[in-house]
Amino acid sequence: MDRADIELRNATYRRFADLGRAPSAGEVGEAVGRSEGDVRAGWRRLHDAHALVLDEGDRIRMANPFSAVPSAYRVRAAGRDWYANCAWDALGIGAALHADSSIDTACPDCREPIRLDMRDGRPSTSDPVFHVLVPAASWWDDIGYT
Amino acid sequence: MLLFRSEGHVSAWLAGRPPGATVPLPRLVELADAWYGDRLDPGWTPRTRAESQAILERLGLSGPFWELG
Repeated sequence: MDRADIELRNATYRRFADLGRAPSAGEVGEAVGRSEGDVRAGWRRLHDAHALVLDEGDRIRMANPFSAVPSAYRVRAAGRDWYANCAWDALGIGAALHADSSIDTACPDCREPIRLDMRDGRPSTSDPVFHVLVPAASWWDDIGYT
Repeated sequence: MLLFRSEGHVSAWLAGRPPGATVPLPRLVELADAWYGDRLDPGWTPRTRAESQAILERLGLSGPFWELG
């Protein structure tokens, strides 16, 4: 990842946070003064470096912890609603925004709702547990499944 | 990477499949903070694999399961 790609990555994340959704290549290109094709080529390199995740149409799918598409992890933080890619990322959104957050999901076993409020870095309950099925060495084999 | 109501619900959901790793919520909070706290920093630069591994190890997430690829 060279300096130009890091700058592109940072601009993409900044736009995601500012817009409250995944930016298009055109929107990022406009922000950094690069062509849409340039942005797409850079995004592809960043995808290969696991700095973000593209979908099959080369649009932003994940800018971890943010998800560009609805998921089972809804997060309210910094006055906006977000989707996270997983439970880890759900807590990561408040961490990235340096903001309190509220997470809504459902237990994968019983489907009962789980509500977690994060205030000043502390969770409203310590009852839920986090389970990772896939070993770390294989996380990026299929990041959507992980 | 899922959140369950309790360890009992993890076991029920696994239904005999081999488990992965279960992490208490307070540790997941620390992990999320360490992993994602800098993601929107204007001067963000990528972590090395060793730096990411060190975050996991500092939180007691060590051993073959937590060995990054």
